[in-house]
Amino acid sequence: MNEFKSGFFMGGESCNGRVLVVDDEPDIRKVVRMTLQKAGYEVLEAENGAKAIETINTGENRLLLDVIICDIRMPKVNGIEAIAYFRQNYPRVPLIVLTGFPDTDMATSLLRQGVVDYLVKPVEGEKLKASVARAMEQRELARL
Amino acid sequence: MNPEPTKSDHSAGRPPAPVTTTDRLSGLDGYEGTPAPTPTKIAIVGAGRGGTAMLTLLHQLRTVEVVGIADRCADAPGLRHAHDLHVPVFEESADLLRVTEPDLVIDVTGDAAMEKTLRQQVPAGVGILSGPSSRLLYDLVQHEFALQAQLLQTDKLAGIGSFAAGIAHDMNNPLQLILGLAENLTEERDLETVHLQARDIVEAVKRTTAICRDLTSYSRRTSARSDQAVPINAKLDEALKIARYAVGLQDIEVRKSYWPEATAIGNPDEILHVFINLITNAVQAMERGGVLTIATSTVDGGTVVKISDTGHGIPPDVMGRIFEPFFTTKPPGKGTGLGLYNIKNVVHRMHGSIDVESQVGRGTTFTVTFPHDVRVEDGNPS
Repeated sequence: MNEFKSGFFMGGESCNGRVLVVDDEPDIRKVVRMTLQKAGYEVLEAENGAKAIETINTGENRLLLDVIICDIRMPKVNGIEAIAYFRQNYPRVPLIVLTGFPDTDMATSLLRQGVVDYLVKPVEGEKLKASVARAMEQRELARL
Repeated sequence: MNPEPTKSDHSAGRPPAPVTTTDRLSGLDGYEGTPAPTPTKIAIVGAGRGGTAMLTLLHQLRTVEVVGIADRCADAPGLRHAHDLHVPVFEESADLLRVTEPDLVIDVTGDAAMEKTLRQQVPAGVGILSGPSSRLLYDLVQHEFALQAQLLQTDKLAGIGSFAAGIAHDMNNPLQLILGLAENLTEERDLETVHLQARDIVEAVKRTTAICRDLTSYSRRTSARSDQAVPINAKLDEALKIARYAVGLQDIEVRKSYWPEATAIGNPDEILHVFINLITNAVQAMERGGVLTIATSTVDGGTVVKISDTGHGIPPDVMGRIFEPFFTTKPPGKGTGLGLYNIKNVVHRMHGSIDVESQVGRGTTFTVTFPHDVRVEDGNPS
């Protein structure tokens, strides 16, 4: 996974990138965190769209956040609204949708808006990591 | 019923007055705004299975007033039923006809000699349905009940279709946890972590199983004869849990206020259906979030359930039609238009009432009143 380093270090160890996981289910955040941390990513969490927007606007995250993994059905600011915000304000940060509801129309619409992947739970760890790796590749290209 | 708001209500800059309606004033038997016809006064002779069925159905119609029922058997189920509905009860048909002066007499005794007796007891011009005519009417009543049951089931199954998003969400989340943990366990060396994650998997499987159990229980056909004392607060909680599958409650603040002894005699499956429908409607009316208030209380020993939302409200021109079958303001494919119609029928069978009060832009409150100590006898042979 080292080929997609975003170039910063975490606690003295090399980090493959910083990923924000937005999901109202703590279990989902926990298991995604576990999978991605083992793959060398730093993982931030937000329990809804409003928290996610707050997180990306906090400190160095404006610059150093590499990928957002976002659920759709959430309280307060839902995934669709959050994604619209991210696309408008942080167009270079790649987005991955991780949702419990397979909706072809929604998937098509979101992919047209530039979402990297539309993943339907349950998704295997390898598939999730591959998707994040693709998103990281986009992020690196955007930084050039 | 309150009058509809007048133009001056609006022009004065005040919020429009609430518009109210009740199931007795709309639905199958007439539209709001249509002058109510003078009801036909009907007397029922015979309070067995036939009399009970007649009473149940006729009592729902605005165009009919059941003025009394007679049966020599004091234990006849129709007499107890009539008592609950405050319909006068008589032992002798002669007394019934003399006191109530009906326009029409329906003889459901099954006694071939009764028609002749009745003809001697009523003045000329009073109609008598007896023999084959009353049997035909009884068959039509039974057909109507069967149709109502079918429509209820249709609505339930159509509603379950709308649960797809919620079910997928609630099933796939624990499945994601199970998959992620199981993948991790294939590599995990720390025994304590293995135990903890295995326990999380077991809990996630239990959650998934509970979803299947809730939904299969709800989707089954309602039992025809299962009237019993139903704890209303528990049914409301169950309805809230199931309604979550149809409508997201993420942006809804749920406020509950329960009278601990809230109970009603009825079919628990049907009562659950009533509550799921009302809660789903309430949440759907609050597209941008709001407050869902569920309250139970008691009036005159009966149980009153109020389900309120702070949503868009029901426009006055629609209010009078909301209990009609197949009437819906939802987009095609989003609603069958059977929800409130079925609710009305269920509540009527329980001898309760349903009222609605709404203000456009402010919200709607449905009030269901279940009578005290009602014993529903539908289908019980005499």
